Formats: sequence, C-alpha cells, structure tokens
Amino acid sequence: MRMYFRDVLEKAGFIVEEAANGVEGLEKMLAGRFDLIVVDINMPKMNGYEFVSQLRKDPSSLSIPVMTVSTEDQERDKVRAYEAGANFYMVKPVRPDELEQAARLFTGRSS
Amino acid sequence: MALVKATNKSANAQARAVQQSRPSLSDLAVLLRSNEPALRRQAARDLALMSEGVPVLCEHLEHEPAVSVRSVIMTSLIQSRSRAVVEGLIRYLRSENTALRNEAIEALQDMPAEIAPYMERLLSDPESDVRIFAVNILSVLPAARAPEWLHKVILEDPHVNVCAAAVDCLAEVGTPDSIAALKQLRLRFGDHPFMIFAIDAAIKRIGGSQ
Amino acid sequence: MKAARPTALSQEAPSLTLQEFAKFCEFFYRKTGIIFSENKRYFVERRVLERMESSQCSSFREYFAMVRFETAGHEMQRLVNAMTVNETYFFREDYQFDALVSGMLPDLAEKKRPGDTIRIWSLPCSTGEEPYSIAIYILEGWDRADDFNIEIRASDIDSRVLGEAHEGIYGERALSRIPPEIRKRYFSPVAGNSFQILEELRESIDFSTVNVVDAAHMQNYSSIDILFCRNLLIYFDDLARRQAMETMYECLAPGGFICLGHSESMSRMSSLYRPRRIGDAIVYQKP
Repeated sequence: MRMYFRDVLEKAGFIVEEAANGVEGLEKMLAGRFDLIVVDINMPKMNGYEFVSQLRKDPSSLSIPVMTVSTEDQERDKVRAYEAGANFYMVKPVRPDELEQAARLFTGRSS
Repeated sequence: MALVKATNKSANAQARAVQQSRPSLSDLAVLLRSNEPALRRQAARDLALMSEGVPVLCEHLEHEPAVSVRSVIMTSLIQSRSRAVVEGLIRYLRSENTALRNEAIEALQDMPAEIAPYMERLLSDPESDVRIFAVNILSVLPAARAPEWLHKVILEDPHVNVCAAAVDCLAEVGTPDSIAALKQLRLRFGDHPFMIFAIDAAIKRIGGSQ
Repeated sequence: MKAARPTALSQEAPSLTLQEFAKFCEFFYRKTGIIFSENKRYFVERRVLERMESSQCSSFREYFAMVRFETAGHEMQRLVNAMTVNETYFFREDYQFDALVSGMLPDLAEKKRPGDTIRIWSLPCSTGEEPYSIAIYILEGWDRADDFNIEIRASDIDSRVLGEAHEGIYGERALSRIPPEIRKRYFSPVAGNSFQILEELRESIDFSTVNVVDAAHMQNYSSIDILFCRNLLIYFDDLARRQAMETMYECLAPGGFICLGHSESMSRMSSLYRPRRIGDAIVYQKP
C-alpha cells in the first residue's frame, strides 16, 4: 500500500518518505520537516489514531495536515480519526485522483 | 564531587514481596485489577507461568487501559505459546479496539506454529476485516502453505480490500506459481487502479513479466 | 539429521553435531536472549569445546547437563563470558553524550531539587569505556553536576569484562578519540603503553553483572533516570527484544530516557516509549 501511495504522490510532484509504523513516523517527524502526512489506521506498534494524537501533542506539529486511510467505512471511525486530530479520512481502496486531489488541497499546491 | 557511588540496589519491594510469597491464582487475579500498573504487570508475569492463568490474562486484555500492561501480558503469553493462548487472542481480531487488535495480530505473528492450524478458518471468516487481518498475520509468518492460502484468497475472495492485502502479502512470500493467480485477479478488479499497481508490483517482485 | 562422525582413532578435531549445536543455541537463547545463526557455528563450537575441555567434560552431553543443573551458575557465567564479544572505545557515538549534558540532564534537573539523586545506567558496559565516558562528559560538560548526587551504574552479562572495567586500564586504540587535555586530566600512564583512569572515577562507578531478559533479576534496579543500552539488542530476536524493553521499562523512573545505538530504532521493538530529539540524537522517553 505504501508503494502505491508513494507512486501516486511522486507522480504528482511530491517528495515522499515512508515509515513502517507510528513509532517510526514520530521518529521521522523529529528528523525532518513535512507538509503532509498520510497515515494508515492499522499499523503495528502504534496505530494511526495513536500516532495522530501524539503528533498533536507536539506544538511544532499541531497544524501539519494529516490524511488518514482505513478499510473501515463507519461513521464512528471517521469521528475517532477527527477527534485524534486528523484533517481527512479516506477509505480503501483509494483512487489515485482522490489521493492526489486531497494532497494538493491540503498542501495548497495546485496542479 | 558530583559522582556518587550507588551502594544499595533499590528494590521494587512490593513486587518482590509478591513474588517471594508465591501468590495463588485468585491473589494474582485480584492484583491484576490493582490501580497500580506496575502491580498489574507483575501479576501478569506471574499469571502467565500458570496454565490456569492464560485464560485470565486473555480475558483481562479487553479491560486493560495501560499499553505497558498489555505489552507485558502479550509478551508473557507469547512466551507461554500454546493453543490456549492462540484461542484466547484470536477473538481480538474482531475487536473495535484498534490498539488491542493490532497487538493481538503482532502476538499471533510471533507464534507461527500455534496459529497455523487456524489460518484457513480465519481466511474464510464471514467478516472481511477479519480476513484482512488474517492475511496480515500471514505476511510475516514463516508458513510453508502461505502462498497456497493466498492464491485461494485472490482467486475466490469477493472483497477488494481482502484481495489487495493478499496481493501485498504475495509480493513478499509469493512464488512463480503465484503469477497466474495474480494475472487472473486483474480481470476481476481491473477497474481499481490500486489493484493493478499492486498486482504489477507483486509480479515484478516475484520475478515474472507483467 | 546426524552427520557421519569420524571414529575416536581419527586425527580430526572434535566438533559438535548439528543437533548439539541447535540444542546449545536454543538453550543459550532462552537464558540470555542472544541468538546465534548458522553462520556463527564455528564461533560457537570453538568456545563450547574450549569450555568442555576446561571443565574436563568428555562429551557435549556431559557438559550440557553440568551447565544446566549447576545451581551456583559459575560455569554458565564462564560460558556467557566466552560467547559475548566486546569491542568499544571512549567517546563512541559521542553525539549522545552531548545530548546527555545539553538536553537530558538539564531536562531532569528541572524536575529535581538540588541534592537529589540522578541515576544513570550503562548496559552493557563492556570494559568500561562507556560509563567512564559518561562520567567524564558530565564532569567536563555539565555545569550543574555538583548540585546533584549522580550515580553511575555499569553492568554487563559478562563478568570478566567487568573486572577489566573496574581496573580501568586502556590502550591507545580505546583512547584515540579523547582530546589530549582530557586524557591528561583523567588518565595516568601505566606499564605496557597503557593508561589507567583516575581511581576517583573507578571508585565512583558501581559495576555489576546483569542479564537484561531476566525480569526477576532486573527488578533489583529501579528509579533509573537515563539508561544507555547501545548495540546490545541487535543481537536479540523479536521476543527477547520485547522482554528487554519491558524489563527496562520497570527499571526506569517516569520521564526516564533510553539511548540506543546509532543504527538502532525503537520502532521495530516497542511502542512503550516516546521518541524525542535532543541535539543530533533521537532518544526514547518513558511517559
């Protein structure tokens, strides 16, 4: 799934870095600057909800846009994601145009 | 001088007292409900050493709010590794608690021999999410039959996300025999760009031509 | 599958069978968390055979039984000593020591009162370069060192290297990264082109034998503020790493830090700790 997202976003002109789980995601956040985060809810070690919550505890990453991705298409899962601090919630399978449009919207980058 | 030699090893007195007095199953079950996470962790370690402790621990997971305690419970259960442990954890594949569910998946992944007899049943579970998690378990399981099971999924499973998870998994564990099944999957879900991408990537990884 | 063995009359050196090797590795892993893969067979075999000879055991079976059932555990200790490799030098990965004095200690000092104890643990400490480096960095680089009682503990599973650490004698190679003025201040030349670290430092560090996957044993240590656990867990498998992360969690005070080796990451091991950046170092904090 990560490879697919990387492919779509790189073709849209973004520079992409990957992390295998929420802990690695937090480590990468400490080491670099990012304009957008796309995170799967179901990750080992630290899931997407927990990752976003932790992210929002840090003043320096309060306003980075976060798009969450999941297989779960229920209202309560969306609410959970938004309560944790996500800006957007996508349900798999994600279409490339959907992903690209959302990425452009949240980073303020037009086509 | 700022540096001072440490003379006494500070002891976690309460926990050691519990250990030395060899508490009973019921004592430990009470401790498992303590307000103090450190005591709950110690109770978990002791309970995992008793065969009757395994179902107690598996039940308790659902109510345990502290990740540090759940972590110790899981590690202790993995160490015990038995059918009872697997049966106690499998139920959490259906849990709404994302953290607990993922922790259960990780623990099951660490017990390949014990989870293997359950894989076929999980891969044909009525819930698509459970089938996805079963595929996720397979992705790191050193199971000789993994490719065979995954072929069946991509040939028969009606749900696009289950098949997508299986394709990702085959990219890791697939064999040249997987290629025919992957090409067939393209026919079923050809209108999903993600699926086409994933299938092509998996075939490339396995070493075939698309 | 048992390999064909030459008879006792043959000139070939004794060796372990595949089964014996496997049995040994399984036992050793269970006891210490350390894994030996197939490509370490020669390494393991040689050392086991040396131990067999030293203990005057005529067969692996006899030796194995002895190690497993000896209550005092002396032979087990000698065996562990033989199996663990220790290579280190002063100021190794020093960006972490910079983070220690510029970030972690000031952070802790804010939450403590003058006169309080700050506990630092080096594990594994090997022949002492790491704990002594920590001591030197604190004395040279932290202006509030005198406000607190700083306890430095140093532990290793290998008791033999602890003896060397306590002695504190080092060669040129171990000292190569130390600036000359620091070397002059803390080391005095001894015989054999070596240098011995100041007695004051040798006496200020508490050295002990520790097995990090032994939860009962690790319970002896608590309220640790900073734990250096560098380049140890790479030798462990997933389960042993989980166990180590959990035993260390018990030892740490809330807000305590763990520093791993340069190429290690908590992301493959545990979600119990929060990564934090201090200077150039990523360290991990117990909530």
